[in-house]
Amino acid sequence: MNALIKKDERLLHKVESFPIKGFLETSLLDWCGKLSAVLFLPGCNFRCPYCHNTELVLQPHKLPDVSMDYVLRRLRKFKGWIDGIVVTGGEPTLQPALPSFIRRIKKKNWLVKLDTNGSNIDMLKQLIDEQLLDCVALDIKAPLNEVDYYRATGRCFIIESIKECLELLKSSNIDYELRTTVCPGLIDKKKLKQLLPQIKGAKRLVLQNFRPSQTIDSRLQHLMPYPKEYMQELGQMSEGYVNELRVVE
Amino acid sequence: MSLESRMAKKTTHLKNDFQESTDLALFVRTSNEDMDGWNRQKIVAALVRETYLDVETAERISKEVEDVIMSSKIGVLTSPLIRELVDAKLIEYGLEKARKMHTRLGMPLYDVDQLILRPNRENANVPHGPEATNLTLAESIKKEYALLSVFSQEVGDAHMRGDIHLHDLGFCDRPYCSGQSLEYVKKFGLHLPNAASVAQPAKHAEVLLAHMVKFSATLQGHFAGAIGWDAVNLFFAPYLRGLSDREIHQLAQMMIFEFSQQAVARGGQAIFSDINLYWEIPKHFADVPAIGPGGKYTGLTYADYTEEAQKFVWSLFEVYLDGDASGRPFFFPKPLVHITEKFFQTPRHQEFLDFICKVASEKGNTYFVFDRGDTAKISQCCRLSFKLEASDLADASQPWKMRYTALQNVTVNLPRIGYLAKGDDTTLFSKLTDVMELAARAHLHKRVFIEKLLALGELGPLSILSMKHDGSSYLRLNKASYLMGMVGLNELVQIHCGEELHQSNKALKLGLRIISHMKIVSEKLSKKHHLKFVLEQTPAESTAYRFAKLDLRYHSPASGAVVKGDLSKGEVYYTNSTLLNVGAPINPIERVKTEGLFHPLITAGSISHIWLGEAKPPAESLANFVTKTFHQTQNDQVAFSPEFTSCNDCNKTSRGLKDNCSYCGSDNVDGITRITGYFTKTSIWNKGKKGELTDRHRNAELFTQKMNKVRNLKEVI
Repeated sequence: MNALIKKDERLLHKVESFPIKGFLETSLLDWCGKLSAVLFLPGCNFRCPYCHNTELVLQPHKLPDVSMDYVLRRLRKFKGWIDGIVVTGGEPTLQPALPSFIRRIKKKNWLVKLDTNGSNIDMLKQLIDEQLLDCVALDIKAPLNEVDYYRATGRCFIIESIKECLELLKSSNIDYELRTTVCPGLIDKKKLKQLLPQIKGAKRLVLQNFRPSQTIDSRLQHLMPYPKEYMQELGQMSEGYVNELRVVE
Repeated sequence: MSLESRMAKKTTHLKNDFQESTDLALFVRTSNEDMDGWNRQKIVAALVRETYLDVETAERISKEVEDVIMSSKIGVLTSPLIRELVDAKLIEYGLEKARKMHTRLGMPLYDVDQLILRPNRENANVPHGPEATNLTLAESIKKEYALLSVFSQEVGDAHMRGDIHLHDLGFCDRPYCSGQSLEYVKKFGLHLPNAASVAQPAKHAEVLLAHMVKFSATLQGHFAGAIGWDAVNLFFAPYLRGLSDREIHQLAQMMIFEFSQQAVARGGQAIFSDINLYWEIPKHFADVPAIGPGGKYTGLTYADYTEEAQKFVWSLFEVYLDGDASGRPFFFPKPLVHITEKFFQTPRHQEFLDFICKVASEKGNTYFVFDRGDTAKISQCCRLSFKLEASDLADASQPWKMRYTALQNVTVNLPRIGYLAKGDDTTLFSKLTDVMELAARAHLHKRVFIEKLLALGELGPLSILSMKHDGSSYLRLNKASYLMGMVGLNELVQIHCGEELHQSNKALKLGLRIISHMKIVSEKLSKKHHLKFVLEQTPAESTAYRFAKLDLRYHSPASGAVVKGDLSKGEVYYTNSTLLNVGAPINPIERVKTEGLFHPLITAGSISHIWLGEAKPPAESLANFVTKTFHQTQNDQVAFSPEFTSCNDCNKTSRGLKDNCSYCGSDNVDGITRITGYFTKTSIWNKGKKGELTDRHRNAELFTQKMNKVRNLKEVI
């Protein structure tokens, strides 16, 4: 028993070349209909003001590494309970070794879901071609034009990549969803009206309300989220554009 | 009627045999709200009537008391004061037994003042108000009465010391809680002894509902705790045939509002009500002839009413999903959905499961009660359930007979045994046995007392429980169970072996051994006393706080390192029953699995809580979790608890416990979440539960490596 624990702890501290900065063993939230484990990868090329993972995005070096061996070892106990592993960030596709990392997970027979902002179409294409993904959540931060995207993420010249990701997902046969965080000042009815035709025909859209806690831009912590009724109205507007709609108030 | 008032009534003349008392201006304020002249003989009469003293001694004492009164300059002489003086004199004479019998029950002026001004925190289901104050005053006197008169000195002292906790002492003259069937009301109408009018069996669904609510209120007056109803959607079904969906929805809405707003009776306390619900037609009711309007058999069986029963339960959950007018979750009645093997074979079960999981995620109301194999249960209270045995299932063909009660709940302070055992196994288990034997004696005392009250029949105080519409008394005493609860298994294990339940295999095994021992002892005691003693996870809303406080007093400093919560604020508690540390970042899967290991040992009900905090997981994921919990664990019951902030200014409800309303920014807000087995406002929680609330681990939090280090690397399962 003691030897086991020691071994486990050694694994936990062992730093590998592939960085995992956070490990949530069981989540009911991150994969609709599934029980999942969540791995958080460091760094992001976006600076969305409402992002909750401040440290992960801005100072990932301050967070300790979690070893991959530890993760897989730990999860082995939950076979039959946990259906799959969600790889999120930050932005996971920034890690060049992501495909080999996911290959390793798939080898252990876990389903994999990838959360991405769509800025790396090449990697997404590779992952899908290799059949390494079972589900993808693609962030749609704003109407797909440079100005709005720049306002929402601080980045420009990524629209083409996102559009290609969207088309790729639409034409693939894997499960996917589009996620839009509805943050006052960035998304309102007018913006959504612009956005909806651009994603028309998509499988599933999740509209989630902004939550004012631990945001990257600290001024947003005093921003009131939209009321429930407004969210429902946005939901009604979106009907007909996508096959499936979820509104998270 | 108190002694003083009786004495006052007897006296009609002022001029009696107290010529020697010169001060005729001395008047006594009696309890009968009048002024009476001084009369020494009343002391004599009281002493002779209430105690075993002889007349001469009584005379002597009364004279000495009179001397004290006359020589003092007492301005206002009250009968309680005289009694105190007499009691003091009895002590001087060493007449301890007489003094005890002559005791006066009541409260100091200061306490009453505090009570009227400040809210009572023992039970978060009691709001503050004149009715609540009445309840607390009555409870405090009945509590004293119970400890002096219902229970032996030994049992009373053990309660006061905190070795055990006798629940609801203030309701000592009632059984603890009850579970019943709507069939009783459907068949016999509302025909209660002493009632001003008698109602025939209901002909319409609304009337049946009215009968159900009124009967619940009546029962609330005769039981200390929860009022549970079995298979409510099923038994309503024959009344719903031919009603439109809108009408059924309306009825569902009426039912939930009626129960949740019944805060008019007993101390302004909402009725602690539970409705047991089924999606399928439970096996034991499927072939039972259905009773319909007018209390008559409809000629069909309950299986024929599947459609109506399902429509009704669906409507009930639609109402729960909406919440009240400001979107808050309903506190009562609690919906307990039975998940059985048959459930998974019933058409559209997945759709229904997803829907009630949506309610669980949005509002938290749903309780998932797991009946595996051939188990059938009726559940109520915070987690109590009555497992139906062969004879009960035979009763199922006449469901009105299915009335169950737990007569009393006695909880053992487990950590206390840990301090006393000093790490020695033998001492630990023998002390545990001793305490359980004591608990059994407490149950015997209560049983004798309740039997005495019931023996008075329909003229006695428990007349309603003695009514015999179906030939036997409403309260089926022979079916009663006697609950043995436990608090702080986690802390006992921590004291005894240095690790908490979730921290090592060794600790978990010790925990399981302790609870198995309790189960075996309870079975042995049952045989010995011919009473059904069963283990229950005590909700311990205030007991977990009380035990922790008392152990800090009697077992310091050892207890200081063990009690949970914030010592500096006095917000201390022991972990409830056999639960794992509520603050430890334990994976919810491990929590339901590990906690579930204890559930088969605890026959009368257990629960695992998953605290959701602010998170609102998708219904499908919860349904996935619930299904796996049913198939892969031994867990008896789970509930998911979200947290809410309800604004008193803008009347909106938002997610999470916050200091300010997220809509209007006002700080006039109430936090709402589940306390032990029901939802309430957190502002009225007692200190112990407030400490627990701060500690609760919400599952949405990111498990960083640091947290992982704290948690169990040690492969608990």
